[in-house]
Amino acid sequence: MDASLFFLLNMGYGVLTLALVALGLAVIFGLLGVMNMAHGEFIAMGAYSAYAAQSAGLPLFVSLPAAALVTGAVGWLIEATVVRHLYKRPFDTLLATWGISILLREGIKLAFGVDYKSVVEPVSGSTGVLGIDYPNYRIAVMAALLVCFFLLFLWYRKSHASARVRAMIANPELAAIVGINTKRLASLAFVIGAASAGIAGAMLAPLVQIEPYMGINYLLQSFFVLVVGGLGSFHGLFIGSGVIGGVASTASAAFGGTGGYVTLLLISILFLWLKPEGLYAGR
Amino acid sequence: MRVADLSLPLSLAALVAVPFVFGDFTAYQIGLFLLYGSVAQGVALCWGRVGILPLGQALFFGLGAYLGGGALIRFEHSSILLYPALLGAVLAPATVAGAIGILVFRRNVGSGPYFSLITLALSMLAYQVALGADWLTGGYMGLNGIPPLPGTDPWSTLYWVILGALVLSTGVLLWITRSPLGQLLHAVSQNEDRLSFLGFDIARLKALAFAVSAALAGMAGALYAAQQGIVTPQVLAYVLSGELLIWTAVGGRASLIGPAAGAVLIGMLTSNLRDRFQYWEILLALLFLAIVLFAPTGLAGLIAPLLKRLPKRVHAMRDVERPLPDRGDMPMLSFEEVRVTIGSVRILQGLTLELKKRGLHCLIGPNGAGKTSAFNALMGRLSVSGGRITWGGRDITGLPAHKVARLGIARKLQVPAIFHDMTVGVHLDIALWSGGISARELLSQRSFRYRNEILGVLKEMFPFLNDEEKRAGDLSLGHRQVLEFALSVIARPEVVLLDEPCAGLSTQETANLTAAIRKIAGRFDISALIIEHDFSVVEELSDHIFVLHQGQTLSEGTLEAIRADHKVQAVYTGGTK
Amino acid sequence: MERRDFLKASLIAGISTALPRQVFAQSDTLKLGFLFPKSGPAAIFGPSSETCIKLGVSQINAAGGILGRQIEAFTGDAGGAPSDTVQAAQRMWRSNGIVALIGQHDSASRAAVIGSIHGQIPYIFTALSEGGFCQPGLYALGETPQQQLGPVIPYLAKAKGASKWYLVGNDYDWPRKSNDIAKPMIKASGGKIVGEEYLPFNVNNFDTTLSKIRDSGADAVFITLVGSASVGFNRAYASFGLDKQALRLGTLIEENTLAGIGAENSKNLFSSVGYFDALDTPGALAFRAPYYKTFGKDAPVLNTASEGLYEGLLFVKAVFGKAGSTDPKAFAAAAEGATYEGPRGQVTMKGRFVNSNVYLATAEGAAFKIIESFQNVDPGTVCTN
Repeated sequence: MDASLFFLLNMGYGVLTLALVALGLAVIFGLLGVMNMAHGEFIAMGAYSAYAAQSAGLPLFVSLPAAALVTGAVGWLIEATVVRHLYKRPFDTLLATWGISILLREGIKLAFGVDYKSVVEPVSGSTGVLGIDYPNYRIAVMAALLVCFFLLFLWYRKSHASARVRAMIANPELAAIVGINTKRLASLAFVIGAASAGIAGAMLAPLVQIEPYMGINYLLQSFFVLVVGGLGSFHGLFIGSGVIGGVASTASAAFGGTGGYVTLLLISILFLWLKPEGLYAGR
Repeated sequence: MRVADLSLPLSLAALVAVPFVFGDFTAYQIGLFLLYGSVAQGVALCWGRVGILPLGQALFFGLGAYLGGGALIRFEHSSILLYPALLGAVLAPATVAGAIGILVFRRNVGSGPYFSLITLALSMLAYQVALGADWLTGGYMGLNGIPPLPGTDPWSTLYWVILGALVLSTGVLLWITRSPLGQLLHAVSQNEDRLSFLGFDIARLKALAFAVSAALAGMAGALYAAQQGIVTPQVLAYVLSGELLIWTAVGGRASLIGPAAGAVLIGMLTSNLRDRFQYWEILLALLFLAIVLFAPTGLAGLIAPLLKRLPKRVHAMRDVERPLPDRGDMPMLSFEEVRVTIGSVRILQGLTLELKKRGLHCLIGPNGAGKTSAFNALMGRLSVSGGRITWGGRDITGLPAHKVARLGIARKLQVPAIFHDMTVGVHLDIALWSGGISARELLSQRSFRYRNEILGVLKEMFPFLNDEEKRAGDLSLGHRQVLEFALSVIARPEVVLLDEPCAGLSTQETANLTAAIRKIAGRFDISALIIEHDFSVVEELSDHIFVLHQGQTLSEGTLEAIRADHKVQAVYTGGTK
Repeated sequence: MERRDFLKASLIAGISTALPRQVFAQSDTLKLGFLFPKSGPAAIFGPSSETCIKLGVSQINAAGGILGRQIEAFTGDAGGAPSDTVQAAQRMWRSNGIVALIGQHDSASRAAVIGSIHGQIPYIFTALSEGGFCQPGLYALGETPQQQLGPVIPYLAKAKGASKWYLVGNDYDWPRKSNDIAKPMIKASGGKIVGEEYLPFNVNNFDTTLSKIRDSGADAVFITLVGSASVGFNRAYASFGLDKQALRLGTLIEENTLAGIGAENSKNLFSSVGYFDALDTPGALAFRAPYYKTFGKDAPVLNTASEGLYEGLLFVKAVFGKAGSTDPKAFAAAAEGATYEGPRGQVTMKGRFVNSNVYLATAEGAAFKIIESFQNVDPGTVCTN
């Protein structure tokens, strides 16, 4: 009982953080069709923002908006200078964002050096949850994510902005004719995608290793999630996170770490081949 | 793809000079990058020529390296087994790639990112396998102590073997790109639909190009094993795949030796800068970004404008007559209660119509009646949820477009679908081949000299078709419509589906094209099913008319009969809808 | 047409100026080549490696150099694929004319380099490793698992009651061989193995492993994770409060990794290597003081990996001096029994591996505190060929 509750809590944490990590890419890939290879570096920038905030003596929750600001600004710049010109050339956006990812990584090295950084948990220790001790910060993160995702889901369903966004995805030319400012909306979508990634990095910073190459893994995980879950909808994001998170936990428990990773690769390949639109094609 | 006639021998001369001018060690370094360069050439074939981007090409390079290294270790003292085994190191990756290509492209994932991502994921999987399977690949430590290729020294004489391999790969690619097959591959990147409506199996073409690129990668990998003496899992890693993309992009994805030049240039710069200049990666990334943004055709593309001073390649004389296929009775084309539903929208709701006689049939009806959808369903572009479509009694429902085309059903799209960057002459070639072409013909220059009777008549009626060097994208809309019409009829199909053939044409152009349709259809016994809104055209071209409404046949008959039909009148004058 | 040829020609000319010519000039300097990671995941050791090399070279040169000649140092990047490391080594040898190679990097690169150099110049491998390799011309100064664990496991068993060991490492040679060496030692100390796991390099969620450790009732965890995986694992380990359940012993947890783990996550964490920045023996201080004086207080922190390169210089000086020449055969003969006094203490070579001192430290806040030292420990490998 004890062990399985622990397992479930870990899985819940894994699924929620996967969704958090993949959210930024879901926004950018799902809404704009841009395969943002720099997604992992946005997350890294968020983590380093948290470190910088800590070094400046600021509390961690200040680092969240700071991270969003920094990555959002960088995202805006990238969209305006590079990505905007390449919307009609999907392969080239892949290549360009990949070149940008190298630049961002080198930038991080320049600014912070190549060594590992450590961000202290704002809340330490653990609390008894249904009879087992679970780390406080993780509980805080999970709770915050549940609330945020719920609100995001509501917004996406109801608000005008989300309707506009959905119109833009469905028919860009028509949307433009109707008066929806597609350029601004595209820029906004990219900025939001970047900022989400930044927030993810800042939130996870106390829990993970922080070094210039940390982004690559997050990029990979995000792709797995989106391939399986499908693009362009929240349902897809959560279904994907659920499947990947669940498979990762159970497969690595059963087959060991490498076996778990190989299983994820195989599943992604199968989906890319047989069901490329994912489990939930919200489009 | 412009073939720079002089750049090839010049580059070869420069590479031959390297060991004498710069010494053996530099030759060794350049040799390594030449190997990577031949892999990059394969990437360029897929990406620049066919329009598919392989993100995991290191998979085939690594496969070739492990197989080649294993062969050299195993059969070090037995040449009878060694060379076939090394050949296996070239053919195995090609076979794997061909299989992957067929499996992936058959599922009609189009030119989306899925093929690219699958190749990336497969290469990552292979990397994990190589890392873990100690017994097979030596695991993390890799395959060690690989003996050199018999009779060569990796530090000096192997360079000549590598150079020979590069000449071979360039030669093969040159031959392919200049052949009819090369034109078909290029057409795939221009307009897949158009090509499949001409009866060509797109999946097979793409898979073939992918397999060729994999063979080149495998050959390079085997030589890599001979040169380095060690093969570790990094030969499969995505880092190498990424570098291949950079080299191809910088060198020029649409060029033959561009990618190899890119590999040597970037490779040598990196090798020399990485120890002296701390931020060489930034420089490289900036260069890469600049190329992607401002010079997508790479360095070769920057040099190419200088080639415009060269005389243009003139199309070969058409002096080989291709006989027209025989004509018997027309097989009956029949839609039986065909239903097509997309989401909740019912597009075809039990469409039934029969095309029995030869002649010109028109398909008319208000917008949204399902006319184009009927064509799409016939060509396998829309999935049929109920009913069936038969041709000569044979059920062809859901058959893919290229197979339907092979049965003799041609199609012309409403918005003219042509191959923008290709010349009129090549369009006509492809159309002539669409009736059926053997593998040998695909690789022979003679296939560019074909002509047939229908082409002759078309050229008479439309003199612009004689300007075979003209780039199709530069044609006016009227000429493009005619060109596409020509493409669809040259191989004498049984029936041609024309979707608003005169859309966007002036009155005079409409009259010309209408007359052409009548003349060609009549003289060569080609039936036509024509969607038209313009009643002047319908008057000219209707032996028989079908009226569609809300996804069903409302009425059929001659023009007079239709005009008198109350139901039709009601629909057209905005009665019931 | 002509312009294109000209462009091509000038391009070639431009590249050629960047290319080194094959040069075997017999000059006055004694050329040494150094290989260490400057790029890639192991690049954290890059900066400290550079500084240690600079310090060693300038000190030796100030004292008259080697065989009366000033040292000229060349460096190459060993952070990429083994084939890249081989390129760098070959370039330094064939183009720059080095007479010895000193390297700190992973085993795969080591195997690749020795496979291509074939002992034609001495190759001194200074990084810690799994031991057990005996290619001629390859000299190993780094710690082996026998040294790092041999005295330490019994010590922890006795002093900390470590008896139920969980083994976790990355999935490749060094962790697996380390565990093979550790297991009989654990059993001999009266303990037992309650788990053994290997993780891929690119993992950042260790929850499954940590659950298993928790459920196994382990009271000691032997960690052979490398790089950022080690950091991530140890952070998560502490956040689950596992540091109260089991002590952690690592054989590659050095100063940079500890900084990444963070002071609040490093309780009950032990590290066993040959050199720590915090080591305060006279020999260590004689190395440390000039280092921070030369490069400043904020210099890249000293660690066993970079310190090893400094010792590589000391070793090369000792052996060349003993041999009287730079001939590889003379080097091989002189290496046997060669000894020098370095930051670790006295180091003596036997069968191309060295007996040296090993130190056990625990993490205290953000730094290490040495709690035990073991003198002249046997490396467990003696090459007889």
